[in-house]
Amino acid sequence: MTVVFEGGARALLLVHAVLGFTAVFATTHHAVSAFLAARGRSVQRQLQRFGWMASASIVAQALFGLALYPVYRVRVRFADLERSAPAVVQLFDLKEHLSALALALVLGASFAGRALQPDAPAAESRAVAALSGCGAALVWAAALIGLYVTARHPVGAP
Amino acid sequence: MRELRAALWGVSAFAVGYLLPGTLRLPTLAYDPVARTIGFTAQVSGVAMRYYGDLLWACAAGSCAAAAVWTSRRRARPVAVLTGAALSLVALDVVFYLSRLLAQV
Repeated sequence: MTVVFEGGARALLLVHAVLGFTAVFATTHHAVSAFLAARGRSVQRQLQRFGWMASASIVAQALFGLALYPVYRVRVRFADLERSAPAVVQLFDLKEHLSALALALVLGASFAGRALQPDAPAAESRAVAALSGCGAALVWAAALIGLYVTARHPVGAP
Repeated sequence: MRELRAALWGVSAFAVGYLLPGTLRLPTLAYDPVARTIGFTAQVSGVAMRYYGDLLWACAAGSCAAAAVWTSRRRARPVAVLTGAALSLVALDVVFYLSRLLAQV
């Protein structure tokens, strides 16, 4: 019995991790730029640049994560963690949900931040900062949980 | 700003569309990685997973809401209210999934 993408699981995991770090740093930079915009600084170029970086990296990371998920489900979760560490299974489930919500927040913040004008009302720049800050916080949480679960039992390992 | 309102409505609908199918056990796409089959069902058991389907529901809800607001000509609601609603719905999702984790640990 083989699971889809099982042969290349390690390579997929590495790419997923690299894209994850890229997403963490791009979303953090976007959030910082959005907070500076909310304080009246002119950071439209940064918002546009980090906006597309954050969107591209989080979408790519999510696609690689979705490709890896069946291997994790069969080879890691059911074969090992359900018996040896059920709490880690629940933690990984939380990570999935945080990642999905982060995806929506980051895409929304990037889309709105791209169009934010230097003379925009304070309520609008604060709204972009709130979306971006919450998205970055969820990306950080998902990344840390992902690292912890991977340290317990990475996909592609026996 | 039309982009911001579309984004806020999209995030709100995504949060609702992500939470409801799983909690209400609504029918969704389910993938069985061992049998390698895809079905549309509310009952998912064993190694089969409904994550892809739930995510599709959420993406569809978010995209439709954002597109509807983008094309709407109705009078816009205050941005602060929309932001509060969107972040409250996201927080509701986070608290719900966190409570499930804490209940089982």
